[in-house]
Amino acid sequence: MSVKGTKIPVELRLPLAGVTPAPTEQAGQELFPTGNFRFFRPVYRDKMPPCNHACPTGENIQRYLDYVKHERFFDGYMTIIDDNPMPAVTGRVCYHPCEGACNRKDHDEPIGIRNVERFLGDFGLELADNPIKDTVPPVNGKRVAVVGSGPGGLACAYHARRLGYRVTVFEALSKAGGMMRGGIPHWHLPEDVLNKEVAKIEDLGDIEMKYNTRVGEDVSWDDLKDFDAAFISVGQDVGRKLPIEGNDLRGVVGGLEFLREAGFNRPVKVGKKVLVIGGGNTASDTARSALRLGAEEVTIVSLEAPDELLIVPEDLEQAKEEGVQFKTNTACARILGNDGVVNGAVLCKARLEKDEGGNVAPQMEEGTEYEVDCDTVMISIGQVQHLDWVPEGLRDERGLIRTDPYGRIDGNIFAGGDIIRGPAMVVDALGDGKRAANNIDKVLNGLELVPESPVEVMPYERLNTAYFRHAPRIEAPVLPPKERVTDQKMEVTLAYDQEQAVGESDRCMSCGVCNGCDNCYIVCPDVSVVRDQRENGHYSIRTKYCKGCLVCVQECPTGCLEKVPELDFDEEGDVTRMETAFSVFDGSHATQSVPIAKMHEEAIAEYDASRRAKVDAGKGEK
Amino acid sequence: MIYHELSVWTRGIIMDKEARDVANCIANAAAKVGFHSQMISDYVDDPDRTNCLVRKYARFSDEPIEFKFIYENPHPNWVVLVEETLVKAVNFFRGTADGSGVLVVNSAREPEYLLKFLPEYMLQKLSKLVAVDAVSLAEQQGSSPWMFVRDLGQLAYDRMSTEGANERSAVGIGIAAPLLGALTAATGVLELDVVADTVEERDAFYRGAENHRVLDYAETHKHMQEAAGSPVAGTPA
Ligand SMILES: Cc1cc2nc3c(=O)[nH]c(=O)nc-3n(C[C@H](O)[C@H](O)[C@H](O)COP(=O)(O)OP(=O)(O)OC[C@H]3O[C@@H](n4cnc5c(N)ncnc54)[C@H](O)[C@@H]3O)c2cc1C
Ligand code: SF4
Ligand code: SF4
Ligand code: SF4
Repeated sequence: MSVKGTKIPVELRLPLAGVTPAPTEQAGQELFPTGNFRFFRPVYRDKMPPCNHACPTGENIQRYLDYVKHERFFDGYMTIIDDNPMPAVTGRVCYHPCEGACNRKDHDEPIGIRNVERFLGDFGLELADNPIKDTVPPVNGKRVAVVGSGPGGLACAYHARRLGYRVTVFEALSKAGGMMRGGIPHWHLPEDVLNKEVAKIEDLGDIEMKYNTRVGEDVSWDDLKDFDAAFISVGQDVGRKLPIEGNDLRGVVGGLEFLREAGFNRPVKVGKKVLVIGGGNTASDTARSALRLGAEEVTIVSLEAPDELLIVPEDLEQAKEEGVQFKTNTACARILGNDGVVNGAVLCKARLEKDEGGNVAPQMEEGTEYEVDCDTVMISIGQVQHLDWVPEGLRDERGLIRTDPYGRIDGNIFAGGDIIRGPAMVVDALGDGKRAANNIDKVLNGLELVPESPVEVMPYERLNTAYFRHAPRIEAPVLPPKERVTDQKMEVTLAYDQEQAVGESDRCMSCGVCNGCDNCYIVCPDVSVVRDQRENGHYSIRTKYCKGCLVCVQECPTGCLEKVPELDFDEEGDVTRMETAFSVFDGSHATQSVPIAKMHEEAIAEYDASRRAKVDAGKGEK
Repeated sequence: MIYHELSVWTRGIIMDKEARDVANCIANAAAKVGFHSQMISDYVDDPDRTNCLVRKYARFSDEPIEFKFIYENPHPNWVVLVEETLVKAVNFFRGTADGSGVLVVNSAREPEYLLKFLPEYMLQKLSKLVAVDAVSLAEQQGSSPWMFVRDLGQLAYDRMSTEGANERSAVGIGIAAPLLGALTAATGVLELDVVADTVEERDAFYRGAENHRVLDYAETHKHMQEAAGSPVAGTPA
């Protein structure tokens, strides 16, 4: 702009480039507080990723995947063990509800969360010192009793200890682990891994393990009341009997009892031709273990049709690869014997039906019976628990312990795991143990147990999926079937190497949680996103200046940035008010300098006065 | 002397026409019943910037308007905010005489909520605060994203505007109609039927005239002041 030839006093000249601070500078932004352009405000508001929501222990999956992505394995490990004391176990055996919920399945394939978890769990086991020890406070004088050392009991002991309680664990058997030792086979969960995870928990100190101590025999229900609080997680470890002729012959064994003997490294005898009765995971584990322990031919006999089998898909596939045969829609009508020893069975076509009470009521088809040869029959049709030591009103008809929504049975006594749910998952028990420890802590501190506030789970639709390249899931290596069936202790599924763990974590879309991608920072056309560090929680919006174009909101890949009506913000600092809009009448831009304002006012007053004088003069003339 | 100044505040590009219609219809109606009247679009506010604060003016009087070449209203006593957030964005009462300002806001919120954004120096100018949910009272025009009636959420991502090729030529349509209804009813200077004759969407105009919430601030304020024993501020000049 040229001012040549005009008589504009210096103070009245418009600020020129070089004189006016640029809007990128703080002074410039004070001069142009364009925050009042905005009717929606971008707000950083993390939501709950569905993976995290689906994990019964509430593992912060998104966060540790992000750490692994950046090769911060230690931070990743410490993140997991805040919620789950045994990632090396769940990283192998968990049925991964997180992956079922993972948003990435709607994009291409779910993240291999469990494999990354295992990678971190194994990383933790390799550490020379147990880093969890440093996080444990001194004991506070109160004592918690835990009954059962399965995942439920161990998790409760761990979390209660981390909250400052001294813990005593009563375990009927000679070693800790519950079904993780006496159910899940070694080829799935190596004994050594379980032992190390248990040792890490014991290592925290002030956790006393009382083995070979059965509550109900060696310790009574009332003895538990000597403690400030108790947690019952006794699982269901008594196999159901099959009510048919021949079930007492030699060679008829409970699948669960067989797995327990094998798990405790006691000698087991398996015949050459084995029938396994049952259609669930226990049947599958029984059959596959039998193959490894000497059987030549193993057949699963199930009432379930092929699509009704309750075996997780990857296990079913592996069982088939290993040569386990299936007779589905089939019932075992009788077991045949010679000299009190099994030598065959009568099978027939059947369907799975349930009676009104939900109990299995096999429907056998008459006239379809046929005989098969076998020397061993293993029964894996579910399990129960002896609970006669639990006061009567506290158990139900199904042989389970009844709790309120907080997992409490009575007073300061809580319960969890299979004994409140029926056959479930390791991770359910781990979650119940964590919940019990937290609730015990609340109750002992005189706090009410209240329902958790609802969370907002991030749906796939709210991600900006344009930012996520399609990439196939990295599968963990698996030993070839021929090799793995030769040894009960040979692990079937192998670990990710570091590159695979990092690569798979890199696929995570960080649903609803800021992962410091910097996109908002880069795309804002108005330099209104500020951050000190490239990390969640370190971004903010310069609200005095942001014009609310919402480019940042649209371009946030994770959907953690959202738009909120500006008028919802009614605190004093939330108002960006200009004296006027961009009007020369009031100075060239927004806030004007005092001398310029004064000159304008004087000029207007002068003009007004001259007009008035003219009008007055005109009136006078009339 | 009868003299009123209407300043309509809006957002550049995306809600420009709505504001223009409000000012146009008032100026037209006033002219029809014999007032001297003017309507001016203010282009100094940088109105070609999306979301920018923009004004439209109307003024009418029973005497000739002397300063007709000055387009900014120096003493607005009627103010319409086409978008509710403007209530916290600008001093729209600059130059308004104490206790004389009628404020009409396009908002589904309660007037009491809107009131709390006004600082003391603006409250002093306020006579009535009128909230009218013009978006829901306007003629709904199907699901086209280019219709005039869009809620804020839709407008937020508007990079193109309602201006230009998609603008229909009729005046007094969309949310402008109920806004005009509420303004005319709340000010009571021009007759409803007179203003309605200048508005294309008459039904929506009358819906606005009937459905709005008025907070008579000067009244309540007077009581409060009297109770406190202090002199009454904000009585219309
Ligand atoms: C064969 C099999 C395979 C499985 N595979 C998987 C798998 O791959 N993945 C998965 O997620 N889940 C699996 N599960 C399920 C999982 O093991 C259980 O859901 C989980 O272990 C339950 O934990 P819990 O703490 O409730 O009880 P448990 O693990 O059953 O532990 C209960 C403990 O309490 C002890 N106890 C019982 N009564 C008393 C008493 N009166 N006094 C003192 N101690 C007592 C028991 O000896 C035992 O150690 C499997 C289950 C079985 C049977
Ligand atoms: S993509 Fe990542 S954050 Fe999203 S659900 Fe899957 S694992 Fe969780
Ligand atoms: S764009 Fe990236 S850095 Fe910005 S909020 Fe979203 S996730 Fe975080
Ligand atoms: S991109 Fe910048 S100006 Fe636009 S909404 Fe985000 S912070 Fe505000």
